[in-house]
Amino acid sequence: MIIRSLFLRGLLFVALWWILAEGRHDGWLLGGIAVAAATWASLKLLPPARQSIRLAGLLAFLRFFLWNSLRGGMQVAGMALRGREALQPAIIELQVSLPPGSARILLVNALGLMPGSLGVDLDGANLRLHVLDACQPIVAETRALEVLITDLFEVTS
Amino acid sequence: MIEWLSMALLLAGAFFFFAGTVGLLRFPDVYSRLHALAKADNLGLGCALFGLALQAESLAAALKLLLIWPLVMAASASIGFAIAHRAHRLGIAPWRK
Amino acid sequence: MTTLMQAVALFLLANLVLALVVAARGPTPADRMLMALLIGTTGTGILVLLAQTMHLPALVDVALVLALLAAIGGIAFARRAWQDVEGEHD
Repeated sequence: MIIRSLFLRGLLFVALWWILAEGRHDGWLLGGIAVAAATWASLKLLPPARQSIRLAGLLAFLRFFLWNSLRGGMQVAGMALRGREALQPAIIELQVSLPPGSARILLVNALGLMPGSLGVDLDGANLRLHVLDACQPIVAETRALEVLITDLFEVTS
Repeated sequence: MIEWLSMALLLAGAFFFFAGTVGLLRFPDVYSRLHALAKADNLGLGCALFGLALQAESLAAALKLLLIWPLVMAASASIGFAIAHRAHRLGIAPWRK
Repeated sequence: MTTLMQAVALFLLANLVLALVVAARGPTPADRMLMALLIGTTGTGILVLLAQTMHLPALVDVALVLALLAAIGGIAFARRAWQDVEGEHD
C-alpha cells in the first residue's frame, strides 16, 4: 500500500520535474532532491488513505469537467455581453449524497466552473448554490457531477 | 495550418478575457461577478495557453504551458467558492430581478 | 504572429487595468478581492504571451509562480483577512 503510493507519487513528481526543466538533463541532481522532498512532503501531508483514485473514473471526470467548463465559459460570456437582463439569479439548496471529506470539497469547488452554478455554502450535507439563471437544469447537472465523483474515488482497504 | 489554429485560439482567448471583464462591469453583485470572472477568464486563459503550446519548441515546453491551466483552474475554483462563502456568511444578499 | 501576440498581451493588460479600476470602487471587500482571481488568470495570460514574444522562457516560470500565489492569496484572504476587517461574523 505505502510502497505503491510512494512509487506512484514519485513517478508523478519525476514527470513534473521533467516538464518544469523543459526536458533538459543538466539539473538532474537538484531534480532528484526536489522529487525526494516533494514525495516525502506529500506522504507527510496527505498520507495514503483508504480512498484512492481510479484511472477510468478520473478520465470520465476530466472529460465531463473540461466539456462543462467550456460550456460554462461560453454561456457566461454570452450573458455578460447581453448584460444583467440575461440574469435570473437564485439561491438553490440541495442535499449531497457524497461522503464527507475530499469528495464533497471537490464537488463544491468544481461547481464554480460548471455552467451557471457557484457554491456558496456547504454545511454538512446541505449544499447551497448561487445560480445565474434559475431556469437552467442546475440540479440535474450537479447530480451528474456527483455520480462522476463517486466513481472517481475507490474505497480500498 | 497550425499557425492559423494557434492564431484563432489566441483570438478566442482574448474574446473570453474581454467577456469576463464586461461581466465584471455589468453584473450587479459579487456572486454574479464571480461567475463571470471564474468561468470566462479561465476559458480565455485555456485558449491562449493551447494557442501558445501549439507553437512551443519542444514537447516539454508545450506541456509546461498546459500545466499552468489546471493550476489556475484549481485556484479560480477554490477562490471563487471561498469569496462566495465569505460573502454569504457576511449576509451579502444576492441581487434579484 | 508575434504582432498578434503582442496585440493580445496589450489587450489583456488594458482589460486588467479597467477591471482593477472598477473592482477597486467595488461596494464590498469581496469585490476588491476579485483581483485575486483576475491577476491569477489575466496576469498569467499576459506573462505567457510575453514569454513567447520577448523570447524569455523564464517568464513561463514566473507565470507558474503567479498562478500558485493567486491560489494561496485568495484562500488566505477568504479565511482570515476579511473576517478581521469586518469583525467576527462566524
